[in-house]
Amino acid sequence: MISLAALVGTDVQDSTGDSVGTLRDVVVHWTTATAYPAVTAIVVRTGKQEVVIGARWVELSAPATVRLRSSAAYARAVERHAAEVALAHDVLDRQVIDVGGSELMRPADVYLASVHDRVELVGIEVGPRALLRRLGPKRLRSRVRPERVIDWAHIRSFSIARDQGGSARGRRSGLAGKAGAGLELDAPASELRPLPAIDVEAALEASQKRKRRGNKNERG
Amino acid sequence: MSVVDAPASPPRAPAPRKAAPRGLKRALGLVAILGPGLIAANAGNDAGGILTYASAGAQFGYRTLFLMVLITVALIVVQEMCSRLGAYTGEGLGALIREQFPLRSGATAMTLLFVANAGLTVSEFAGVGASMEIFGVSRYIAVPIALAGVWSVTVFGNYSRAERVFLVMGLVFLAYPVAAILGHPGAGVVLRNLAWPHFVASKAFLLLSVALIGTTITPYMQFYLTAAVVDKGVTPQSYRAQRIDTINGSIFSDLISIFIIIATAAAIGGTGALSSAAEAASALRPVAGESAEQLFAVGLLGASLLAATVVPLSTAYAISETAGVERSLSRKLREAPFFYGLFTAQVVIGALIALLPGNAVELVVNAQVLNGFITPILLTYILILANRRSVLGDAANGRRFRVLATVCVAVVGALSAVVLIQTVAGWL
Repeated sequence: MISLAALVGTDVQDSTGDSVGTLRDVVVHWTTATAYPAVTAIVVRTGKQEVVIGARWVELSAPATVRLRSSAAYARAVERHAAEVALAHDVLDRQVIDVGGSELMRPADVYLASVHDRVELVGIEVGPRALLRRLGPKRLRSRVRPERVIDWAHIRSFSIARDQGGSARGRRSGLAGKAGAGLELDAPASELRPLPAIDVEAALEASQKRKRRGNKNERG
Repeated sequence: MSVVDAPASPPRAPAPRKAAPRGLKRALGLVAILGPGLIAANAGNDAGGILTYASAGAQFGYRTLFLMVLITVALIVVQEMCSRLGAYTGEGLGALIREQFPLRSGATAMTLLFVANAGLTVSEFAGVGASMEIFGVSRYIAVPIALAGVWSVTVFGNYSRAERVFLVMGLVFLAYPVAAILGHPGAGVVLRNLAWPHFVASKAFLLLSVALIGTTITPYMQFYLTAAVVDKGVTPQSYRAQRIDTINGSIFSDLISIFIIIATAAAIGGTGALSSAAEAASALRPVAGESAEQLFAVGLLGASLLAATVVPLSTAYAISETAGVERSLSRKLREAPFFYGLFTAQVVIGALIALLPGNAVELVVNAQVLNGFITPILLTYILILANRRSVLGDAANGRRFRVLATVCVAVVGALSAVVLIQTVAGWL
């Protein structure tokens, strides 16, 4: 399992080991069709500017390493596209509410996992320990111990604290990044079974299993 | 007057797609009439405020009046930014700080808020002790009883009813403007001091200046106002009315503060630092005659008890909001352990420190000095938030407002820094 909180701020190196910049954000593409959105790009700060590098140039690995696959990569200017969610900006530390309107802890981490040949968003951490991990010394930050993980498949959409009529309709990621926008679950928090996150491998395996099961259901 | 007020269940800010609970609105009663801006600004006139303003009048006469004019300008600027943040984002300051700053900076801000409010809570309990001493009750008896009462009423009891009793007791301080006029302060002197600086180049004056800033522009007021604006459901469309309420509230509350200084200065100006609450009470003599002390004590007790509940509640609310956990007095103790834990920690710390031997009034003023140090740091967060177009869009601070706000924060910060350096140098 890859920890977004640990990933943000780490050094991005190219295939020869040269530093390209620091990682600022990880972008996923989230539509109604995807329960677990895949990483499409990363945002890297090089010098004074931020650039976007497509996921096919990037290798993310657990718990928090990011490398470019070659010594050169195509970088484009930062721009928000439809259905794109910038995880550090839009999800990390944002409000999470369940279907009844009661609040969960703000996610102190967002977990990604390599599934087949791509990296997918798996869940958000709503336990307090991740918060302490991020406040603690930097070298301990990659010691990721999932505690209370909400399966991303339970996230219905982004929503805004004070909905002024219809703004939340449409795309589920439509409000991503807006001031005051948070995440909305599709069930009451008490009924959610947190991801079985006893250790990293088990959690990853579980997410893959669920995915396979999901695929089977879709076919059936 | 001390209209410190927290919603009966503190402002349950961003409950998405849910109108503010009706019971809450009814419980707020006074808030509906007075508006969050007025209530929040008047929170400055709590036990700490009253004793600090009285100290200013006793120690330096009318010489702090010009400073109060400057502080009022700064207060308006700060409170306006806060209500704008609440109206345009629909989120409280705690939430905005969590989302907009790196986690460590956010944690620093919330720790500072906890410390500042703990200091305030100390001064509120000290205020309870000081007022009960006027009635001849030792504070070693009064403060523990107040602690038990405040805690159990808030956690188990009917908080809103208790709040109203405290509020009415605090209305005593409306007597100050009358006392100020009856005390024949000499209109010329007062006006001259309001319009032109009469600063004193002394360490005591600087320290008191920081205390005055700390008690008038209290971080807790900013967090409270933003949450209350969100809770009231103010939107960008209805913001104009809120803006007027915020500005009026700041001016009104500081007028009361100025009257406290004038009344005290007219009665006992230039006699040196206050040594007891009874001494401060003598400023009310023109109104109440021989019973001035009792009247003052009732007012101080009400203001202290109210703020001793509201300030810790506000802390618990803001920090829970930053964490994102449940925060409401309508929850049971077990349903919101973090919220109630913070509240309990704050009242217990406050009461224990207030029981330390020493001069209660001095303790209260020192707590305001602590607030004065922390205020500019937290104001910087607010300024950054209100400057950001990514947060407020077109409602972000314009260039001219940004300059004004930056100057306000910088001056407050510089003053605190000077006092801090002097204090540290004094230890060496």
